[in-house]
Amino acid sequence: MSQTLSHEDLLKLVDGCLGQGKVVAGPTLVKPDLCAYAALRASDQLVLKDFIHPANSIKGFFFPRHEPICVYRLNGNDVELEDVDPPKTEQIIIGVRPCDAAALPILDHVFNWDYADKFYNERRENTTVVTLACTDYDDNCFCTSVGLGPAAEKGSDAMLLPLGDGGYEVRCFTDKGKALFEGKTTPSDKTGSASEGPARKIDVKWIEEALEDDYENPAWKTISLRCLGCGACAYNCPTCHCFDIVDEGDAAGGLRVKNWDSCQFGQFTVHASGHNPRANQGQRQRQRIQHKFRIYPEKFNEILCTGCGACTRNCPVALGVLNTLEALRAAAAPDTSEVG
Amino acid sequence: MTSDIQEQLRQTCRRLLEEEKVDVVIGYGQSTADGPAYPVFITAPQDVDRLVWNDRCFNNLTAYLTRDEVKSLGKPAIVVKGCDDRALVVLEQESQINRDEIVVIGVACEGVGEPRAAKCAACDVHMPRTADETLGEVPNGPADLEAAYAELDAFMAQSPEERMAYWRGEFERCVKCYACREVCPMCYCNRCIVDKNRPTVIDTSAHVKGNLAWHVTRAFHQAGRCVGCDECTRVCPAGINLRLLNLSLARAADKHFDYRAGMDKEAAPVIGAYREEDKEDFIL
Amino acid sequence: MDNVYKPELMEVLDVHQHTADVKSIRIKFKDPGKANDFSFRVGQFGMFSAFGAGESTFNICSSSNWKDFLEFCFRKTGKVTDVLWRLDPGDTIGFRGPYGNSYPMEEWEGKNLIFIGGGIAMPPIRCAIWYALENRDKYGGVTVVYGARTVGDFVFADELDQWAEKERTRVIRCVDPGGETPDWPYEIGLIPHVIEKARIPADNAVALVVGPPIMIKFTLPVLDKMGLAAKDVYTSLENRMKCGIGKCGRCNCGPVYVCKEGPIFTLEQLTQLPQDY
Repeated sequence: MSQTLSHEDLLKLVDGCLGQGKVVAGPTLVKPDLCAYAALRASDQLVLKDFIHPANSIKGFFFPRHEPICVYRLNGNDVELEDVDPPKTEQIIIGVRPCDAAALPILDHVFNWDYADKFYNERRENTTVVTLACTDYDDNCFCTSVGLGPAAEKGSDAMLLPLGDGGYEVRCFTDKGKALFEGKTTPSDKTGSASEGPARKIDVKWIEEALEDDYENPAWKTISLRCLGCGACAYNCPTCHCFDIVDEGDAAGGLRVKNWDSCQFGQFTVHASGHNPRANQGQRQRQRIQHKFRIYPEKFNEILCTGCGACTRNCPVALGVLNTLEALRAAAAPDTSEVG
Repeated sequence: MTSDIQEQLRQTCRRLLEEEKVDVVIGYGQSTADGPAYPVFITAPQDVDRLVWNDRCFNNLTAYLTRDEVKSLGKPAIVVKGCDDRALVVLEQESQINRDEIVVIGVACEGVGEPRAAKCAACDVHMPRTADETLGEVPNGPADLEAAYAELDAFMAQSPEERMAYWRGEFERCVKCYACREVCPMCYCNRCIVDKNRPTVIDTSAHVKGNLAWHVTRAFHQAGRCVGCDECTRVCPAGINLRLLNLSLARAADKHFDYRAGMDKEAAPVIGAYREEDKEDFIL
Repeated sequence: MDNVYKPELMEVLDVHQHTADVKSIRIKFKDPGKANDFSFRVGQFGMFSAFGAGESTFNICSSSNWKDFLEFCFRKTGKVTDVLWRLDPGDTIGFRGPYGNSYPMEEWEGKNLIFIGGGIAMPPIRCAIWYALENRDKYGGVTVVYGARTVGDFVFADELDQWAEKERTRVIRCVDPGGETPDWPYEIGLIPHVIEKARIPADNAVALVVGPPIMIKFTLPVLDKMGLAAKDVYTSLENRMKCGIGKCGRCNCGPVYVCKEGPIFTLEQLTQLPQDY
């Protein structure tokens, strides 16, 4: 016996939440040909079919690309500081791909490593994540290589599995999920389905060992040749979390803010003296892959990647994590003369 | 035929590498026939079969000529479409490349993208103009700039409030990933203005103010230099209509100074040169 | 929930200029309750705010025995230090900390201590020197080797004189050849040569070496020749930081976050770190 919900009733649920002043977000056409996760103004903006993966991730709802963390006021030689609280508004994100939801329990570790980041934690508490199981995948997907899959439950409060008739089977995993769908679903003997997902493409154990054994691997230089050092991969990645802290204001005062940053930018690690420990793109790419597949697993027992493929889809030169890992593997094969 | 061009390209590059005329070929590669094409750097003659030429060869490879990691590979040969070749002209005018030290292999291009990229409808450089040799043959029509300007005209017919609302909506989505900057051959500054902090001229934050400041500044820095390759528009993860912004400044350069970036190596760069007879009526 | 990014407000008590571009500043908590609750261990660092310009990372260079103020020392070199340079007593700045690990002063008890510093690297050593001298009986011989490019580049020069007066304490000062004044009475030469010449006993000793990478590179072989084991040579690393608390992903050298598992490392640990610093 399953619980089901028609698409129309789901949209009514969305309108109900919007009417209660909650933030409701999900995949939507921000442009006629661009599907991305964004806050909705009305339920008819929600798109739950005809896409593999939205262009971005949902991390901005927990770790915004820009947020004030402190207010400072300058008064002669005195300073007044005012704390900032993250918004208390309840958030519901509907239609989240399982690879995006899985990123949340992964990020919980770093945002609570000895010091608890309230800006992230409070948003986590106030948000219900409703995933949409995948019935298809593309060449960029590799969730099955990192321990996940098209119907993975990690990070999900409730999951919608397409029934094929436009409706969904609803599976609630947490109290939040149950509270959202309480009394809204209909019992049925139909069950929704999800794809098997792509075949495994990489061996993460091999990768982790290769990263440990050969930090200085000369292959990094050639693998990264086409990388232009922008932040398209990191900023659309559900698990990348590097950030910058800056003061923005004038003589009277201003805001101390936390902004997204990327280890791929040339100035990311530059010292005040001008010395830059990661002065070339090879070193910077190495850092990204090391962080995701060796450093984070060593520290927190989690791979900092969910195989969503957003990096590759957004990359101006079609690089991305999967291609990089495959290039690492190829470079280790003795009879390869691959360059760039 | 693109497959003929592809074969000629591979032969040409094999010869260049075997005869050690160049150390590296900067061209396009592709992992699978239905996958994306992307930049490749071939240093061994036996690897030239990795080179491809088709309508997915979007990247403007000239952006790599000013990057240290690529410069360190040695003397390059570079594959260019007509629009990319215009960027080479600008780079040479601005003394960023030594043209004699680069072998430029032009490819005749009917257009890229499926559907065709907007820039291709107005293209008058199907045959790259300054390549050392060009493979293939596509007739060069006159520039149908009116096709491009029609889009701009329709936009400019709206009120200032409507237009501002449009750009606010566009820049609300910007996350400051700087993909637009990194793909652009003309954005080669060692330290970009947005990365400077003494003083901070442009907020690094990705709020509407910071995003507007960034994009408007970059558009102005591109005025008279942007060749309209539209790579910035293609790569923007947020789908921002940068093409329209750049087009408006390109039209201003054309209309007021009869200048199109990258079309004439001998022409004085429009921002970089002053003549007494230059128009002033739009600033007085 | 507490805001881990929000600094404490601090009052500037004293500003002291050491060289043409180096100053040290003493600060105290504006909130006496915070002052009471605060403690740190020598070797730890803080994030110091010049509101409007941003934050910078500096070692807390005062001894943890001093309860009335914290002290930090900096070279005027960038946006934040430009503003810190203009501070006067009575001004307000921010402080977050203490962060990072610390010198194992308890483990060092009973040992001979060799402190080696170059140029502006004296402040992270100074706190350990004072701590040891303030607990004199717990430590063996104390040797300080401090080298600077020129006579005008010494930081905390007056304290060097005070240390030289202490029992079982030897202070060796040197300038680079060409950096001396006609009346310079101390050593002339690069630090590694001066150390060799000084014949410092290495038995039952630990060494703390802080300085620019080039100085460390040439000093370590000398210490090795003296008989110091890699696990007994310590250094304090610097890296670009922003959050200081292991979240922003900037300061790591391979799997080691300098802000959380450093900045104090033994040479043994350092040789296993990738050179991402």
